[in-house]
Amino acid sequence: MAKMKEPIDLWIERHEREPDVVAKEKFDRFLKAAELKVPDRVPVAGLFGDFLCEYTGITWYDLSYNLEKIRPAVLKFVHNFPSDWGIIFAPMMLEGFILGLAFADFPDFSNTIRFLTGPVHDILKDKWSQWPGREIKEDFHPQFRGGEFMKPEEYKQFIENPIEFIHGTILPRACPGLGTPGSPQWNAAWIKIGMTMQKIASFQAQLIAEIGKMGNIGFPLTNAYAPADVIGDFLRYPTGAMLDMKRRPDEFKMACEVLVEPILKIATAIPPVPPLTVFFAPLHLNEMLSPKLYNEFYWPHLKKIIETLVAKGYKGFIFFEGDHSPHVDTILELPKGWGIAWFERPKNFMEVWEKLKGHTAVMGGVPTSLLIGGTPEKIDEYIKDLLSKIKPEGGFILSPGVNELPKTTSVANVRAYINAALKYGVY
Amino acid sequence: MSLKDLVEAYIDLDEEKVLKIAENLLKSGGDPAEIIEACRSATNIIGEKFERGEYFLSELILAGEIFNSVMRIVLPQLKKEIKPIGIIVLGTVQGDIHDIGKNIFKAFAEAAGFKVIDLGVDVPPEKFVEAIRDYKPDTVGMSCLLTAGIESMKKTVDAIKEASLRDMVKIIIGGGRVDKTTCEYTGADAWTNDAATGVRIILKWAEEKRGR
Repeated sequence: MAKMKEPIDLWIERHEREPDVVAKEKFDRFLKAAELKVPDRVPVAGLFGDFLCEYTGITWYDLSYNLEKIRPAVLKFVHNFPSDWGIIFAPMMLEGFILGLAFADFPDFSNTIRFLTGPVHDILKDKWSQWPGREIKEDFHPQFRGGEFMKPEEYKQFIENPIEFIHGTILPRACPGLGTPGSPQWNAAWIKIGMTMQKIASFQAQLIAEIGKMGNIGFPLTNAYAPADVIGDFLRYPTGAMLDMKRRPDEFKMACEVLVEPILKIATAIPPVPPLTVFFAPLHLNEMLSPKLYNEFYWPHLKKIIETLVAKGYKGFIFFEGDHSPHVDTILELPKGWGIAWFERPKNFMEVWEKLKGHTAVMGGVPTSLLIGGTPEKIDEYIKDLLSKIKPEGGFILSPGVNELPKTTSVANVRAYINAALKYGVY
Repeated sequence: MSLKDLVEAYIDLDEEKVLKIAENLLKSGGDPAEIIEACRSATNIIGEKFERGEYFLSELILAGEIFNSVMRIVLPQLKKEIKPIGIIVLGTVQGDIHDIGKNIFKAFAEAAGFKVIDLGVDVPPEKFVEAIRDYKPDTVGMSCLLTAGIESMKKTVDAIKEASLRDMVKIIIGGGRVDKTTCEYTGADAWTNDAATGVRIILKWAEEKRGR
């Protein structure tokens, strides 16, 4: 006897039969949620990570370097695990916002160079990241490591001219592949990086077009960053940054201040196109800070960036890493409808939702550990209960706290997540 | 300037003041072991403040930093080694190279009086097994940030079981993405999202062991 079709199977069939109709539905659904309105159904966010590699039989090395293998793997994955909206890094990308800053005055590529890819890492040999088949094994997840590349006494120089300091001091220290500024190696490396980026960009454009034909959507996306995270991620390491807040408070604040303008330049390199252009910013230091430090050293500059971009017609899409609960109230200082807040693991998700609903579009709600260690029945029950509490309010996007799932995540669990959204998400 | 002042300055995380008091106490013939003990009780109070939500990771990092700075001046003056209250083998599991959480846990565990064998990052299961054989720890601590690390934790617990060492150690896992479900899945004894709570758990284990 044939197995009974589940909601996900019927949705997949619709993707095959009428991709344009499905895409239009997704477009309206996501847009409405972002605008705090009530869509036809709660949008469900896509997944990624080791699970994609395992399911499609490719390694992290392949996903980072082997463009030929990436295409069929991603297409198969997107087909079999449909979502309303998702981010898949193909090829894999890691944080590289400092490179965007280095070229903030060049809007034609500042937004592209802001992510590190494996092939670009091979040229830079940067110490910020480690890649499969290079520093780590082929089946290991590429990892952002960061590090300390600025000494505490160098804040002054950084503040005087951050972009020049990045080029003249930070890049030579963190990227041995570049050699000495101005040397033949240095010049050749940047040309090679340009050529590599071009190749990756054309691959991505083609892949996105193919995914689009399968009934999927995307919105123009630009990038921003919290100034304090630039310091923590690329210059002083998170622990160093936190000690500096205590030991060199004025310099730390000034350094954040001078970063606002170049960050805005990068973000606005892609113009806002109606109805929706989002600026993505993943936050890192946020959960590590006490409200006192957050309010003094982190939030003011980030807030300025968000407010400026929202006033220009963008919407924010911010990943609040970790437990952001202690700082959630500050989000209410932003104008209503400013954007989408994706929460990783707030201590009490419903409390966060109750505070923000009607003001901020909220994304999240599903503990990643439930998808990893739970059963399809538990996942179904959890999401049913969650959505019964969220609805009838709009402005919600169902997602795990992070979209990366480990390789042992069962297919049945992932299907249960999508099934539950389709079953219980209808308004 | 007394030990009490030191504890107070420590809890306020006034690094300069703590170091000044410690130096003065040593100069005037103070007992290094007593200074260490004072730092321990202060760290303990900081841990409690963290658990009550008064302090955050930023404060734990600073506390760990202060502890290390004090130890640098006090340890060389110590006449005889203080017996640790327990031994812990610690590492970030295979496939993960993130170490902030592990390092804070290490500082807090040392401040609490444990001897910590730090295996570093990207530690394969067999290294944990080897370290258990070599150091006979009471506790094994595993840390990860990536979701992929959860699988490595499970593999490591399995490897410890296979080596018939599981009954000899208690296992605690820690990291931003671990929780009760992860703990059950990996087969660990306890889990924590933060160093302060983690150290409390291993302190409880050490007490239980002494009581036995």
